[in-house]
Amino acid sequence: MRVLLFLWTAFAALLASDLTLEIVKEVGNEPKIRIENGTVEVDGSLNRKFFKLLVGDLTVAAHFQVDEQEHIADFTDPISPRLHDGDLLLRYQLYYDDRGRLSARMLLYDLKRQQELLKKAYTIGDKERYPFIAHRIVYDVGKALGFDDLSFLRSFVIFSKYTGPKQADIVIGDYTLTYQKTIVTGGLNLFPKWASKEQRAFYYTDMNGERPTLYRVDLYAGKREKILSGEGMVVCSDVSEDGRRLLLTLAPSMQPDIYLYDLQQRTLQRITYYSGIDVSGNFVQDGRRIVFVSDRLGYPTIFAKDANSRAVERLVYHGRNNSSCTTSGDYVVYSSRETNNAFGPNTFNLYLISTKSDYIRRLTANGVNIFPRFAPDGETLLFIKEYANQTGLGIIRLRYNKSYIYPLYTGKIQSIDW
Amino acid sequence: MKQILTTIFLLLFLLSGCAKKSVEIEMPPSASTGPQVESEVQEGSGIHPLEGGIEELDEEQKLALMRQIESQAKVIYFDFDQYTIRPDQMPKIEYNAKLFNQPQARPFRIKVEGNCDEWGSDEYNYALGLKRAKSVRDALVAKGVAPERLSIISYGESNPVCREHTRECWAKNRRVEFELIP
Repeated sequence: MRVLLFLWTAFAALLASDLTLEIVKEVGNEPKIRIENGTVEVDGSLNRKFFKLLVGDLTVAAHFQVDEQEHIADFTDPISPRLHDGDLLLRYQLYYDDRGRLSARMLLYDLKRQQELLKKAYTIGDKERYPFIAHRIVYDVGKALGFDDLSFLRSFVIFSKYTGPKQADIVIGDYTLTYQKTIVTGGLNLFPKWASKEQRAFYYTDMNGERPTLYRVDLYAGKREKILSGEGMVVCSDVSEDGRRLLLTLAPSMQPDIYLYDLQQRTLQRITYYSGIDVSGNFVQDGRRIVFVSDRLGYPTIFAKDANSRAVERLVYHGRNNSSCTTSGDYVVYSSRETNNAFGPNTFNLYLISTKSDYIRRLTANGVNIFPRFAPDGETLLFIKEYANQTGLGIIRLRYNKSYIYPLYTGKIQSIDW
Repeated sequence: MKQILTTIFLLLFLLSGCAKKSVEIEMPPSASTGPQVESEVQEGSGIHPLEGGIEELDEEQKLALMRQIESQAKVIYFDFDQYTIRPDQMPKIEYNAKLFNQPQARPFRIKVEGNCDEWGSDEYNYALGLKRAKSVRDALVAKGVAPERLSIISYGESNPVCREHTRECWAKNRRVEFELIP
């Protein structure tokens, strides 16, 4: 009876596409894709990096078996009918157009049906932004084949990185951080947060004045607008789906608590009332509830509450230090210190829970895994991994139960948002 | 709000004052033995001993005096993930309170800066630093430092004094420091 109940529960959960369940897909079902490079006039370094980015993107997309060998071909040559080792062919060429702009053309071909599926060209003004061409190509490939939305490939990542004592810059990059551009520099600039899914503006905390100040920066208009300042601590932890409400950590009486800020009404509503630490407010369940980190048990762990109720619900019942979380829809991902030994091995792992069920899914197995952040698609997770004296940028495709690590050469990250 | 804050400060002052009376502490140099800068001022400009005011000092001298008082302040250290002041750190609080209440220090405001080690998440670490700064600020108020002279800020893990990945180094970074501001 228990077995039947378990099977039914698992089946029902799968039907509901519950990400807290580990979905083990059959290996070998994904189409095998071959990549042919027809580039001649672009320098070797960029050429090599571009190919690696394509391989990385196709792998992270989780829909392909990627042939990682670089095959050379003339872009205009006909596709050889003898190519049977694979299902799909992605042929591309990098070149400079008449105005000297980096460009690319691509061709997606179904090898089994001997049929052209997609042909496109791309141009980018700033050569340094070449990773976005690779990401766009793989996004278009996924779209042409009718796979799930791969828009996370095209999303910008924004982060603050330490450059010295009391010094941190705000930088924008692609999701692999291959492309990086410093946006805010000078002094201590912290906690960048995208203002909406469109990623046209962001919030950040400027620590350089007499009091911490929250600013909104419009990237395209180049404008900076002061939102508010306060004593001790001012952080934008989350932005509502419609971009109209912010969850802030403020400390007007030197006590970090969570506040809801209505940008149109310019009103502040205090959400938590606790004499210890309440931080990292994140909207869940369409903004009706708020998940946050609190040390009200003597150590940081994850709680939830309604905005207009004083009742607080504990969400996590394990770990000795669950001090960071991110949310999307009904899902919460948090980092958890596994042992009581503060500095032992296997220190911090990531877990996924749902506010609507009791399932819990461990997402990482070793190392220090911190700064979890959901991509705008709600199904892809970015995090920082430290393991064996190396730092990496981790990507987890929750629906496909696959994770990837990119080497990270960017220095110490203070905070990151995707 | 002011009334509530005053009540809290008074309560903390009474509680802290009752508990710590028997602690023996190292005393900061008194005004009569004189910090270096004060005697330099007396010799260099012929100004009489400073009794509760530094209006006669120019900006450079004022800055030097501030830096000198800062250098005498004792750093308060904390346990891992904690923001309560350890008993062994209380004598330093008392020392600092006396230092900041010396006549030549009184015109200055004091920024209490909370710092953390590299462990912990982004936002929580800054809140932890803030709570450490608040604990020290409240303790200083309880020891007689005027609350309006004290402001707090957290630098989280952004301002380490030690960069090695060792327990000893992390312990050095879990601290509260002081900066004097005019």
